[in-house]
Amino acid sequence: MCSTGGPIDIEFDEGLKGKKYRCNDCGAVFEAVGRHPVCPSCESENVTAV
Amino acid sequence: MNIPLSCGYLLIRGGASFFLIARSPDTFALPLQTFDGEVFQGVHRGDLIVVSAPEGGDPEQARMLCELVRTYRQPLVVLPKGHPGSARLRMVLSVASCIMPRTDIVRGTHPEQDVICSSGELASLGMAAFGRYVRLSGFDPGRMAFFLYPPGSLSAR
Repeated sequence: MCSTGGPIDIEFDEGLKGKKYRCNDCGAVFEAVGRHPVCPSCESENVTAV
Repeated sequence: MNIPLSCGYLLIRGGASFFLIARSPDTFALPLQTFDGEVFQGVHRGDLIVVSAPEGGDPEQARMLCELVRTYRQPLVVLPKGHPGSARLRMVLSVASCIMPRTDIVRGTHPEQDVICSSGELASLGMAAFGRYVRLSGFDPGRMAFFLYPPGSLSAR
């Protein structure tokens, strides 16, 4: 059973390491995780890591 | 095992616990709120939205949680380690193309979306988006059952 708190827990190596991206359509800069980021402002997938 | 799923729900029941699975109809940026900031995860059409209820409960509650994300794009809140709120979470949610249950993590504290807190009885079940299907690995028909539902309330089902 997954824990509701206490000693049982594991850490994943990668953690939540976001990368910064700039949207090539609307110019928004944001931090994202995962291999296929999406702009939170215009939902474009046309983004570039900065 | 592949089970077709579009806009409805797939309920996987163990003896007491369950997973409710739905799929994202759109591409959007899912906000993850942590104690020190905000990051976005790209969610893509067809990705899985999975609600886990390790002690069971009302599937309608799980459906509502699912729709808060799928329809209303409610941000996910990630609790810091040791936060007392973990003990109050009866259901948790993850969104990804492939999700594996874990029994060794604390509820609500892991921002990684490819894992989800689970009961032991459903811990062997892998879930992945596979075209118009949900691919289940480790499904044990002797200990689990699945039910498909159309969109809409799950009350009184």
